[in-house]
Amino acid sequence: MPGEKSRTHGGALLVSELRVLFRRRRTWAMLAALASIPVLMAVVVRLSAEPPGPGEGPPFLDQVTNNGMFVAVTALVLTTPLFLPLTVAVVSGDAIAGEASLGTLRYLLVAPAGRVRLLVVKYASAVAFCLAASGTVLLTGWAIGAALFGTGEATLLSGDTIGVGDAVVRSLLVGAHVTICMLGLAAVGLFISTLTDAGVGAMAAVAVLTIVAQVLGQLDQLAWLHPWLFTHHWLAFADLLREPIVWTSFMQNALLQAAYVAFFGALAYGRFSTKDVLS
Amino acid sequence: MARTWSRWLPAAVVPLVIAGSVAFAAQAGAEDLPERSPGDVLALLADRGHQPFSGEFEQTSDVGLPQLPGGVEVPGGDGDAAAVTSALEALTSDHTGRVFVGEEHQARLQVFDTFGERDVIVNGSDVWVYESAENAAAHTTLPADAGDHATTGEQLTPDAIADRVVEAAVPTTELSVREDVEVAGRAAYDLVLTPRTDATLVGEVAIAVDGETGQPLQVTVTARGEQAPAFRVAYTLLDLTAPDADLFAFTPPAGADVEEVSPPAEALQGDETRSPDHEPTVIGTGWESVAIIEAGERALADQPLLTQLTSAVDGGRLLSTDLVNVLIADDGRVLVGAVPLERLQAAAGSE
Amino acid sequence: MSATAPAAEQTEATSTELAIETSGLTKKFGQQVAVNGIDLAVPRGAVFGFLGPNGSGKTTTIRVILGLAAATSGSMRVLGRGVPAGLDDALPRVGALIEGPAFYPFLSGADNLRRLDAADRHANPATRDDRVAAALDRVGLAHAARKKARAYSLGMKQRLGIAAALLTPRELLVLDEPTNGLDPQGTREVRSLIRSVAAEGTTVFVSSHLLAEVEQICTHAAIMSVGSLVAQGSLADLRGSGQTVVRVTTPDGEGAVAQLRHLGLDAASVAPPRGAGRDLDVAAVEAPLSGDDPAPEDIVAALVAAGVRVRGFDVEQPSLEDRFVALTGEGFDVAR
Ligand SMILES: Nc1ncnc2c1ncn2[C@@H]1O[C@H](COP(=O)(O)OP(=O)(O)OP(=O)(O)O)[C@@H](O)[C@H]1O
Ligand SMILES: [Mg+2]
Repeated sequence: MPGEKSRTHGGALLVSELRVLFRRRRTWAMLAALASIPVLMAVVVRLSAEPPGPGEGPPFLDQVTNNGMFVAVTALVLTTPLFLPLTVAVVSGDAIAGEASLGTLRYLLVAPAGRVRLLVVKYASAVAFCLAASGTVLLTGWAIGAALFGTGEATLLSGDTIGVGDAVVRSLLVGAHVTICMLGLAAVGLFISTLTDAGVGAMAAVAVLTIVAQVLGQLDQLAWLHPWLFTHHWLAFADLLREPIVWTSFMQNALLQAAYVAFFGALAYGRFSTKDVLS
Repeated sequence: MARTWSRWLPAAVVPLVIAGSVAFAAQAGAEDLPERSPGDVLALLADRGHQPFSGEFEQTSDVGLPQLPGGVEVPGGDGDAAAVTSALEALTSDHTGRVFVGEEHQARLQVFDTFGERDVIVNGSDVWVYESAENAAAHTTLPADAGDHATTGEQLTPDAIADRVVEAAVPTTELSVREDVEVAGRAAYDLVLTPRTDATLVGEVAIAVDGETGQPLQVTVTARGEQAPAFRVAYTLLDLTAPDADLFAFTPPAGADVEEVSPPAEALQGDETRSPDHEPTVIGTGWESVAIIEAGERALADQPLLTQLTSAVDGGRLLSTDLVNVLIADDGRVLVGAVPLERLQAAAGSE
Repeated sequence: MSATAPAAEQTEATSTELAIETSGLTKKFGQQVAVNGIDLAVPRGAVFGFLGPNGSGKTTTIRVILGLAAATSGSMRVLGRGVPAGLDDALPRVGALIEGPAFYPFLSGADNLRRLDAADRHANPATRDDRVAAALDRVGLAHAARKKARAYSLGMKQRLGIAAALLTPRELLVLDEPTNGLDPQGTREVRSLIRSVAAEGTTVFVSSHLLAEVEQICTHAAIMSVGSLVAQGSLADLRGSGQTVVRVTTPDGEGAVAQLRHLGLDAASVAPPRGAGRDLDVAAVEAPLSGDDPAPEDIVAALVAAGVRVRGFDVEQPSLEDRFVALTGEGFDVAR
């Protein structure tokens, strides 16, 4: 025994956590729901007699018929304000609270998983989910778009035309932006998750917070607060579709999300490392 | 567990670090510029040479009007009414955008919307206007002697506004230089223009003039008696290297509505306060000038939206803001000026 | 929080003697004192019964000892390591079942065990599958390994929980109510499992309110009442502080009392024993027996010699139950 102890296998918990996450039917149901949005949208556009004109329907919809890639971008526009954060709220809000309500939290802790290690692993798996979620929208969008409309030249907001390769790069950037947008939310969710033993309550609280932040973002009286809301840059990915790319909002968003991750990560640490696990 | 409070320490430290770095970034040293008299700063501004650059700018206005809901459709809103509402929209809403200036007569202005963009591209004698929301482009070729027309597309930028203000106002204005400011990371002189007359709503105009290049980096307009500027346009990012030449070679995208417009280019300028048919007459000079736009076919004051925003006064309806008053006279003429109502009424009567 | 430096010095001495050691351990939930200054000493190698009525603070004590909850005051050591500072070092050597088993319902039994094993960074992934299979086999769940945990019965879950505690060789096994929900067969198996684990040298700390069970398997016990530790020691010690009693069943009640008194015993008639026929004219006579009294067989001989007809004769060892009831009270209501 003492000989074995020198070797540790710290990564095993993350692997196991990801397995648990992606073995759950709930996770797949959420990803399937996200995937259905680009598919539905593309099929509806395909079946409609007239292609959408400029300015009709959600942003970029008129681009879809020129370049299937834009199905992915339009789907991200549609999912970013609500569907995507909702799924992230479920995963991050459930992170600790879900284990607590199952009772498995006490067994993980006496295993011993280590409280900080467990928190980090939980956040890492939430990040993995954010990636999977926006990746799902992006990839399904690409696939269905390419299948139904083919790939071709695409028009940027500035009126310049780009080729297929550039369109792939731009939509990847949009996907990256959306993923980064979810990181702050995931940290908020993780913190809320340490506050309660009721997983559903934590998920609901995170979802409500997302909506509240977006509503506050609409109130001009609170203009001073807007740059500090984690939802502030959520739709700023239009800046990645200008020529040349405007990096300002992308970078500001990355910094803002990093600040949220640091602050709510620290709060989650403070709470979880001092919490009595009585579930 | 006497030391549990220490677990909360990071949660206390992180906001401090964030606040600290934000504060540090905000005040990161405006290096000292040599003293200059207002006249010297004005000369620096006037004598600046052609400088290729790219910059991001931000325009905010708070003129004391309610923000119009985006995309308001005025019933039957073509012609003058549409022109007035879009002018109102321009007055009350905030914009961000970019400017690229390349060689002489090469410029591109982009005004950003959340999911759209308006572009004006000037390349020699070619002028393109592109509006992404409509996927519509318009092209015009300027006559060879067009001169300074090329810059008319840049009306929203600090450069253009500063030039116009200085041209219009210097004779009737007191000039001073305030403490140096930092705009877009560059040290600048803050040239303050204070009207010599009381007969205007404008309290002061301040122009931040780049200490090195003489380029205007920021313009603020403050209404009389107010503290915060009612209007501000400033670069947030400025790069003094020449932008990629490809940016000025515009080809309208496939599927766009392309319209060929013949010069004169006024129709392209997007200055919606005047329709091409009605050249305004200007009476008075400097700060006190009043523009009078002749009546269109339609009675403006009957538009429901305008009735909401205006109030009845002697001789017409008044749209009142901190900086500008607009009098829609009973005879249909529109009088605009940065002046008190009485002066508009007097101007309406004198014609 | 205990300091780490003295902990290192004492490690050798205490770790050879005590698996769990608490001093003045107190846990309050707001105003309520759930555990009130207890001094536990669980010797290594012991099978230690932790007894107490419902709500007496057993589970709370276990939670605090395993670092799930912070003690309000007091200090403790587990396997020679201070709690909570040294827990990361101690816990891999501790298997635990705390207030019932808990699992991911959507994972199979075996996957649940793999998950918990992965949480321990000292557990070797290479041997994981073998160890999981062995643990399942040990609790008789080999055939249900692939079944989803949501489809497990109460007893199967209990077994799976015990299997999780046995995933790696442990120095200390903490079992909170391990036979909860098990059928008689399962209860017997758990008992023999505990014996076999103990035989390997593992200290077993088992909380229970089933006294018979504790009596059968434990070498040591402690009794909790309303948050306080009211008795602690080896089973013999605990019993020893009770009284051995001789009981004579006889038709000649008065003669028996007289004769026993004559032998120096404090005899008295008591109600006839259960099962004795009502129609038979028998009496029961009891007398506490202490060390310097005659041996039981000599008592019988003396009684018979004196013409007392003896129908039955018992020497009753003190039961843990009597001791338990004496210490914690008769009442059925939970004390708080
Ligand atoms: N989370 C909690 N909050 C407040 N009080 C609690 C909490 N958990 C337990 N208690 C109280 O602490 C006391 C001890 O509870 P504990 O669960 O330790 O009892 P127990 O001995 O394990 O009982 P049982 O035999 O029923 O399992 C009880 O009075 C209980 O009400
Ligand atoms: Mg209990």
